[in-house]
Amino acid sequence: MIAEETLLDELRRPETLDKAFEVLVNTYKERLYWHIRRIVLNHDDSDDVLQNTFIKVYKNINGFKGESQLYSWMYRIATNESLTFLKKKSNKMGISDAELQDRMVSNLQADVYFDGDEIQIKLQEAIARLPEKQKLVFNMKYFQEMKYEEISGILHTSVGGLKASYHLAVKKLEAFLKED
Amino acid sequence: MKKTNNKKDFKVPEGYFEGFTDKLMERIKTSNGDQKNLMLPKSDGFKVPDTYFEGLHSKIQSKLKEDETKVIPLNPWRKQLYYAAASVAIVVLLTIAVQFNQSPELTFESLANSDIEDYFEQTDLGFSTYEIAEVIPVDDLEVSDILEYQFKDENIIDYLDDDIDNIEELNLLDND
Repeated sequence: MIAEETLLDELRRPETLDKAFEVLVNTYKERLYWHIRRIVLNHDDSDDVLQNTFIKVYKNINGFKGESQLYSWMYRIATNESLTFLKKKSNKMGISDAELQDRMVSNLQADVYFDGDEIQIKLQEAIARLPEKQKLVFNMKYFQEMKYEEISGILHTSVGGLKASYHLAVKKLEAFLKED
Repeated sequence: MKKTNNKKDFKVPEGYFEGFTDKLMERIKTSNGDQKNLMLPKSDGFKVPDTYFEGLHSKIQSKLKEDETKVIPLNPWRKQLYYAAASVAIVVLLTIAVQFNQSPELTFESLANSDIEDYFEQTDLGFSTYEIAEVIPVDDLEVSDILEYQFKDENIIDYLDDDIDNIEELNLLDND
């Protein structure tokens, strides 16, 4: 894999931008896709948000100061794009964020790109009820198996705070799954 | 320091130490497994269409090109019109800014308590009240942090005199 500094350098030079951008997309597309998918749940929406994320990266790469790692910056853009997308969607439909989350989960059963069983649907219902931060931390830690240090660089939260959020999220999810 | 039990005043079941390491390792393995698996499913059931990732880069490239062609170049006379409008806007903004600058600088103290309370009510901190209560040490809190009104000793004595029939029922302990 190409070193981040080299890639960044090539992204900033107009003559190498397009080639480097292709490398960037191919390196991070899957990781960013799954990050977005677990927030917006539906494949078509994830595709839109992922494309917008990369377009933002392309257009703003010269504004990236290098204060954090490139992938943290892209994850932050992907997170913001996903949350903004959901906010716009709920505003457009005239419903609350919680209502939108409920609808998104109930739509999963009819989604051709979801083949989860009963327990996996219940897990999504439980995740939908978590506060936003706990939801992000849980998905990043549990499904994407990211390190707390990496999550900390993306969400700008201390490792201690993240551990507390993850612990609380797991406790709530287990309690929800134990019901009935 | 002697490591063996030479005096033999206690006994252990035969073969206890031989199997100890295996038993311990087995237990560690099991408890790690429990902790990792929890009771949550490891996969979430999401799928992507076949070959979705292969075509992604070209899709993004064509979207970027589409964005570029959408840019409408400004005509010279239009440009001048925009410059004129921008100059007027700058003059208006500067006038307003100068007037506003005469007001004192905003500090944390100048924020109304209601604004701060509103911020906490409106912002999703990601923790419930009970969760916050779990992490805030009670020992560091004084009653005055919660209650705005400070009771004077004579008020308390008056209250006890007037409203409490039998002071023994309060079951007060002298902690001092």
